[in-house]
Amino acid sequence: MSTEPASETQWREPDPPGSGVIPCVEAPAIPRETQLELLQLGLLQRLTEDRAMLLYRQGRIPGSYYTGRGQEAVGAAAGLCLGPDDVVAPLNRELSCHFARGVTVADVFRNFLARATGPTRGRDGNMHFGMPARGVFPLVSMLGVLCPVSVGAALAFKRRGEPRVALTFWGDGAMCTGDVHEGMNLAGVLDVPAVFVIQNNQYAYSTPTGREMVNTNIAERIEGGWSIPCQRVDGTDAIAAYAAIGEAVRRARDGDGPHAVEAFSLRMHGHAAHDDASYVPSELLDHFANRRDPIKRLRKRLELDGVPQSELDELHARVSDEVAEGLAEAERAPPADPDTIQDGVYAMPPSHA
Amino acid sequence: MSEITYLEAIRAALEDAMHEDERVFMLGEDIGHFGGPFGATKGLAETFGTDRIIDTPISEEGFVGAALGAAWMGERPIVELQFADFISCAFDPIVSVGAKTHWRSGIRFPVVIRAPFGGGIRGGPFHASCPEGWFVGVAGLKVVAPGTVEDAYGLLRSSIDDDDPVIYFEHKGLYRRLKGSRPTPATRTPIGKARVVQAGSDATIVTYGAGVDLARTATAATNGNGSSVEVVDLRTLWPFDEEAVLSSIDKTSRVLVLQEAARSTGAAGVVMSLISQHAFELLDAPAKLHAPVDTPVPFAPELEDAYLPSVDSLTAALDDLLSY
Repeated sequence: MSTEPASETQWREPDPPGSGVIPCVEAPAIPRETQLELLQLGLLQRLTEDRAMLLYRQGRIPGSYYTGRGQEAVGAAAGLCLGPDDVVAPLNRELSCHFARGVTVADVFRNFLARATGPTRGRDGNMHFGMPARGVFPLVSMLGVLCPVSVGAALAFKRRGEPRVALTFWGDGAMCTGDVHEGMNLAGVLDVPAVFVIQNNQYAYSTPTGREMVNTNIAERIEGGWSIPCQRVDGTDAIAAYAAIGEAVRRARDGDGPHAVEAFSLRMHGHAAHDDASYVPSELLDHFANRRDPIKRLRKRLELDGVPQSELDELHARVSDEVAEGLAEAERAPPADPDTIQDGVYAMPPSHA
Repeated sequence: MSEITYLEAIRAALEDAMHEDERVFMLGEDIGHFGGPFGATKGLAETFGTDRIIDTPISEEGFVGAALGAAWMGERPIVELQFADFISCAFDPIVSVGAKTHWRSGIRFPVVIRAPFGGGIRGGPFHASCPEGWFVGVAGLKVVAPGTVEDAYGLLRSSIDDDDPVIYFEHKGLYRRLKGSRPTPATRTPIGKARVVQAGSDATIVTYGAGVDLARTATAATNGNGSSVEVVDLRTLWPFDEEAVLSSIDKTSRVLVLQEAARSTGAAGVVMSLISQHAFELLDAPAKLHAPVDTPVPFAPELEDAYLPSVDSLTAALDDLLSY
């Protein structure tokens, strides 16, 4: 198994020979605790989503359900690169970023299960939630639209001279929308501390990137088209992603204007739970599962760096318990309350009401 | 006290709000030293600097979205659209983000979107529209449309004070036509409150924007002929003052809804719906809608004059209503 499967006009770091898991890059400059934290956040996303997928199949999660399997490293890296005063707008594939901001497993399940005390109080489902107190903006399904919103948050920081950044994500799919063009262009001319992380997971729903755009080198387009520095990074390598996003965040914070990172990966599940992703070549999926699973890659790196198996197993067990406890807590929460349906439509209800 | 125009009242409101609150700033196309296509922001860049009167690229979706983001962080941005017609370009941030986010998350968006609307300037299909109907009925949005100089000032100040996204439809035809005394900086027009601008007992005209002046002018003649028509200025189109509409109909038993937007859009739909549900037993005649036909706004003077409500067309419609 040394031949790489063909994907449509796609880039990734060349695979080293062999067939096993490719470890993350070595990064002695990144503290061991940070690397373990990246693993913990990635695992939290993986195990929470695995559990949620089972609940969905049992009919206990209403609506649809989205995972970010195969992309956990990017949200975790971005989340850890941000400071407590920064703000972020995560999308469907970035549950680990929520966790990095201090959102709890119980918060997440209360939203999935549509409970009264969840972050949206049952007003919205799955990944469509934010935690304003933690600087997390709730996802809006019209992907791309949060690019200009983040630029506006960054504009506020610049106006006030605050050393804060606003980060948002989008994918290869939203890369084709007008919103991200307008947002990136505005970010450039206003010269604001915005950071854009583009999750190139090779598919917009069922459409491969090669059929979404002529030039699939997103980083090249962002640099050449919008004059925003953009590093292209292996999105299945948590350490490489952490280094690249960290650099982008530092530069934006230092007044160097907007920065971007293109993180390349593969969406390992369908667009949502109903979608079996049969349009993704199985050899491509197998290849990423066997060699480029971001959780396995980071674990392998930590093993090579001498972290004992037992410590990593313990971390896994701890995360597993945290997910079980978070779910149990969420299941005790009351269901959404129809009597509150009109609460909060307005921050200031009009004077005649 | 010297008189100012409707347009000057808008500029005065912007200026006063910016003097009072550092968080207020503006985004829009050509609003800086150029002063905007109608001169609404003339002089503001000189007074407040180009960091507060920010010229943007042509990207309504981008800068309306950015206004929301800045508001999320506690600023109080005002966006100027060159013409209300271009609000279609910003539909997504307004409707998908602006309207739904507080209800979902508690995040507040104190954003004002100024949208110059209306015809009579030979603007044609893309520079004379009345697109307020796209937003009337959208939970989470507030929609206002001043019909007087005082409300041009007072509604704008209230919109800037408000913690929800407000779309402020200012009528281009009134910019230089209406004059009044300069409102004091304390002037506010409450959002959600209509006003009886002219009392009467035989029929009610419910209207807004340029319809207010038109209704007054048309009824000056009618009211001289022995009938007495009340004019209710909605001022806030959404969520609107149902109570004011119903209590006027209770008094007059006849109602005509007047708007410049084409008859199947605008604010008329929600007003007629209220009337059909709650005023049926108060009425002596079917509620009447006086509004243009369902077409885009035409360009040729002959076509636009035929399209827009006029003193003659309104007088004829009122005669019909009163003689039913």
